[in-house]
Amino acid sequence: MEIQKNSFTGKSTVLALEIERFRYSGAESDTLQSVDLELAPGSLTVIVGDSGSGKSTLGALLAGMLPRPAADECRGSINLAGQRVQYSAQDSPRIDVAGWAKHVGLLPQEAGHYLSRIREIVAEELVFSLENEGATREQMHQQISTLSQRFSLGHLLKRDPAKLSGGQERLVALAALSVSDPSVMVLDEPLAGLDAEATVTVTEMIARLRSGGTALLVLSRTAGPWTASADAVWTLANGHLHKANGASIERNAAATAVQRSPIATDGRTLLEFSGVKLGYPKSEEPAVQGLDLQVRAGECVALAGANGSGKTTVLKAAAGLLKPSSGTIQVSAETGLLLQNPSDQLFERTVLREVTFGLPKKSAARAKVPEILAQLGLSSDADSHPYELPASARRLVALATVLVREPKILLLDEPTEALDIWGVAALRRVIDSVLAHGGAVLFSSHDQNFMDQIADRVQLMSG
Amino acid sequence: MSRSISLHPFTVLSLAVATVTITTAAGSWLLGCAVITACLVLAGWVGRLQRLVVMAVAILLPTFASLLLIHGLVATDASALIAAAGPFRVTTGGLETAMTLGLRTAVLVVVGLLCTLLIDTHQLVAAIDLSPAPPQVGYLLAASLFLLPQMAEKQRAIGQAQTLRKAGTGRGLTGWLKRVRLRAVPLVLASLQDAHDRSVHLAARGFPAAGAHTRLRAVQDSLIQRRIRWVALFCAVMGPLVILAPLWGSK
Repeated sequence: MEIQKNSFTGKSTVLALEIERFRYSGAESDTLQSVDLELAPGSLTVIVGDSGSGKSTLGALLAGMLPRPAADECRGSINLAGQRVQYSAQDSPRIDVAGWAKHVGLLPQEAGHYLSRIREIVAEELVFSLENEGATREQMHQQISTLSQRFSLGHLLKRDPAKLSGGQERLVALAALSVSDPSVMVLDEPLAGLDAEATVTVTEMIARLRSGGTALLVLSRTAGPWTASADAVWTLANGHLHKANGASIERNAAATAVQRSPIATDGRTLLEFSGVKLGYPKSEEPAVQGLDLQVRAGECVALAGANGSGKTTVLKAAAGLLKPSSGTIQVSAETGLLLQNPSDQLFERTVLREVTFGLPKKSAARAKVPEILAQLGLSSDADSHPYELPASARRLVALATVLVREPKILLLDEPTEALDIWGVAALRRVIDSVLAHGGAVLFSSHDQNFMDQIADRVQLMSG
Repeated sequence: MSRSISLHPFTVLSLAVATVTITTAAGSWLLGCAVITACLVLAGWVGRLQRLVVMAVAILLPTFASLLLIHGLVATDASALIAAAGPFRVTTGGLETAMTLGLRTAVLVVVGLLCTLLIDTHQLVAAIDLSPAPPQVGYLLAASLFLLPQMAEKQRAIGQAQTLRKAGTGRGLTGWLKRVRLRAVPLVLASLQDAHDRSVHLAARGFPAAGAHTRLRAVQDSLIQRRIRWVALFCAVMGPLVILAPLWGSK
């Protein structure tokens, strides 16, 4: 692969991007404007931006998945591996995505989309791209062994990829992405939903890839975990890329770093698990065993633990979606559950229809919809399609569908995942409101800062 | 207790094809019943008898009912009359025709269902991928075979989300119909969205392969199995010819 000399930094450049403007087909404004970026071998570049700022679009551009020929408008160029791809108003060349992916790999924000879902076990999923390249079985076994050690995936190799937890899915997708050994890796929220051990594994993997000469570009809502190790931190706002300064990074950190004050409660138990065992059909091992947990009115409890330790299972059981195979679950008030993946919870054509779905006409709940949309900052999106919204807003729409039923027990599965700072602030207001009205909150999370600030206590799940 | 049969998927399929063609051509009650019994014994041996029976009954009951309706109750042949009332006319010939056609269909259904229970779909796709067939064949089969399980999974997720909103929780036939109505459109839209989101990453991972490709999964095969397949395919073609040739020109 050809490496060019970077005229600005003096270092060699593996990829150079100059985008004058990019606009999606049918959009009224540009998603990206004047974005210039150069990536050197072994460098770590971090782009921080709120949801909807254009991070995922930039990632797709770098991965050759955008612009769509004869649809999106793009002006600019990408230099990669000695090749220059020029986009203009007249010409938008079609890129061979498979060939491009050998140089630039993209881990999407929803990591599950990277997995093929047509392979039975994780080991096959890991070497899926090698199978398509015609690698020998020995080469594939060698790669699986290496990846298994590097990503601590030994216990997952025989598992069905469709039945992994969100964090496990991301880890497997990242491992599968690294198989092709691209010279540039674009990672969209690589640490989202990962437990502490997996976070260390991914961070170490990133360091190893850098030392091997891979250029890494991380797209993230916060710069926090990356500031110490990154070569460059940029902020992306309204489609414009700016060099980040310390003040803007600290502003983001400070915006959510406020400790919640405890609320005086009457001590009523709203939710109680006693010796509960939970499992799934066709699964030999129970997901949760011998769980004892009480959640009282005015109390906010966090569920922590490794990926796959049963946090989601507990929340689903509390919401009545799963029945315990032994033990008892007592629920003394209305529950509302926010699922981990908003796509599982959204299925209507507009945000307004989504939030009012299933509500009786002329009901009090239906009348409260505008108020809830305003509380979550979604009033202007009422007529938008939920799938067209940025990830953070989509998550808030899913939250609105829960809140409109005024649950006394709010169950939240990884609530901060995909939320930007404004979304986290809205979430905190919602939690405060539920607790102030005598309700309770039970949530699962890997976000240690959020747990420290919000939770009254933490229940550690051991799996 | 469940056992597994470690035959190459193509061996199972070629034996099934030979069995169906020869039994259908022979049109013998005895052979048809023997084949069905053998299938049931085999299903019982691998621990899937109940599933085979339930699935076969679900398909064959309406099939037999319709055949009886067409050939048994309003027979027009000149064979011995058993009963007659208004437009209905039951004859021995009509019942025999209905049962013969029903038995042929039953052999096809039971053997086909047994194949779906014996053959691991992932093994079948791997076998096609490893065969000289064009890569598109494996891709088409994988897309078709795994679409239903994926849609079922998506349907469950949508059902859970709707249950959380107290929608589609009614019981009985009305409740079931309402659930179907509420889930159908989201299911199709979510499946399309999922396919769209996933397809670009599949392409990036080189799928479907344009040229030579391999599989991590090994599909057990042997010289004996390859010979059995050739013999089975030969029998599938020549068996019906040998059985039917003497009958040609006899009517």
